[in-house]
Order: sequence, then C-alpha cells, then structure tokens
Amino acid sequence: MSDPQDQKLDAMLRSRRFEPASPDLAARIVLQARSTPQNQTITLTQWMKRLFAEFHLPQPVYVCACILIFGFVIGFNSRLETPTTDDADTTDVQSFLYADEDSL
Amino acid sequence: MVAGWAEQEDHELLARIQDGSHEAFAALVQRHAERFYRLAYRYLQNKEAAEDIVQDAFIKLWENPGIWQPERNTKFTTWFYRVLINLCLDWRKKKRPLTLDDELSLPDEGEALDATLIREQEQKMLEKEIAVLPERQRLAVNLCFDEGLSNQEAAEVMGLRLKALQSLLMRAKATLKERIKASR
Repeated sequence: MSDPQDQKLDAMLRSRRFEPASPDLAARIVLQARSTPQNQTITLTQWMKRLFAEFHLPQPVYVCACILIFGFVIGFNSRLETPTTDDADTTDVQSFLYADEDSL
Repeated sequence: MVAGWAEQEDHELLARIQDGSHEAFAALVQRHAERFYRLAYRYLQNKEAAEDIVQDAFIKLWENPGIWQPERNTKFTTWFYRVLINLCLDWRKKKRPLTLDDELSLPDEGEALDATLIREQEQKMLEKEIAVLPERQRLAVNLCFDEGLSNQEAAEVMGLRLKALQSLLMRAKATLKERIKASR
C-alpha cells in the first residue's frame, strides 16, 4: 500500500539530478594505468593454479607415470620376499655335509 | 588477440587484467566509470572528489589485480561498490563534514511559482534532507533509487540482510517525508 505522498517521494528519489562526470574521466584512468606498473602479488590458490598450469601434461602421461610408480612399489616390496642366492648356496653345502656323515 | 573486449563479461576482463592487459582494463573502466562516479558523487556531493575516488579505486585494482578473487562468487560491481564506499568513507573522515549551498529556502510568496521552479526547489530540499540522513540510510537510498540496484543487491553491497535493508529504506523514507512536510 502506498499513498500519493509515497509515490511522489519515490519519483523524486528516482529523478535526482547530479553533476555529470568529466567526459575524459575514463580516458584519464586508462592513461594513468598505462604508466603504473602492476604488483604481481598473488594468493596461494592463484599461485597453486599457475604452478599446475605450468606443469600441465596430457592425460596419458599421467597414466604412464602412475603405472611406473605402481610398478616400482610392487617391485621393491616383492624383492624382499624372494630368497637370495646366498641362502640357496648354504642349504646345498649343509645337505652335502650331512650326506658325507651318513656315508661314513 | 582477443576480439570484442566490449562483449566480454566483467570476470573475463578481470582475468585478462590479472595477466596485465591494458585493453581489458580500458574496457572495464569505460563500462563502469560513470556508474561508480555517480555513487561517489551522491556520497560526497563533490565532483572533483568523486572523480578522484573513482580513479583511485580503478588504479588500485590495476596495481593489485589479485585483490579481486573470482572464487568468492561476488559480482564485480557489487564488490567494487564496497571498495568505493570504503574509499568514500575514508575521504569523509579526513575532510570536513558535508555542506550544501545555502540557497535551499523556498521562494518568497510573491515570487512567480511555476511548476519547474517548485520542482527545482523540492529537489534541492530533498538533496539537503538526504545529506543529513544517517550514513547507512543515505547509502541505502542511493543504491536503491539512484543506482537502480534491487534490494537484494543493495543488501549484498552493504553486507546486510534483506530485511535490515528494507528497514533502513523505510526509516529513510519516513524521515524524508516528515522533514519535507515540516519544511513546507
């Protein structure tokens, strides 16, 4: 609900006049910016994004790298479980010795 | 080369500005300088000061383009209005309080009162009364009536809830009606 006074006030508020800006305001700002250097202070997130952008590689390369890393991990783990050649030699020597005792 | 700077959205221009593009900056300034000037002028009632503040605000943006963070999902104009209002407040703190010219009295009885003259006097009176409104009420009136922002947008600029902004507007209008009525 708005009375005529409200409507008149609204109309007056919407039609307020003002002193227009100088026509060269935008040009002045642009000109000043041309002689002003930019400070490249960037936030951590922006820095991270730029860093990843620098190292952007095609997807297959990431897949290959992952497979390689996976292979290394499996390789290193399984190597510890297999018997070494030294262990095999000692077993053979022991069995030989025992065999000799029996024959004696 | 990027064709049609004028057709690019604000956030696209800002991304280019962050890469140091003067053309993108020029496009952004040409698009918005006038509207930001209008708000600063309403706030300060001083053409030179309003122009200086708009210029300072844009140059600050150029110098430190990283201050605009698109991931915050704020519209550029909403964010820049806030920057501008803060600069206006700083200016007002440093400078003398706002004064308007004294030629605000209504014309004499005997003077010919045509419609234009009455309207002119009413406008002057309205400006005078708006100038003495509390800071936040004045800003709400300027944003909603002068800048043509929706109540929701104005509330975002002022960092208020919609209800709080509506309440500010109601109080401002009530005060203005009262004072204009009393001064007749």
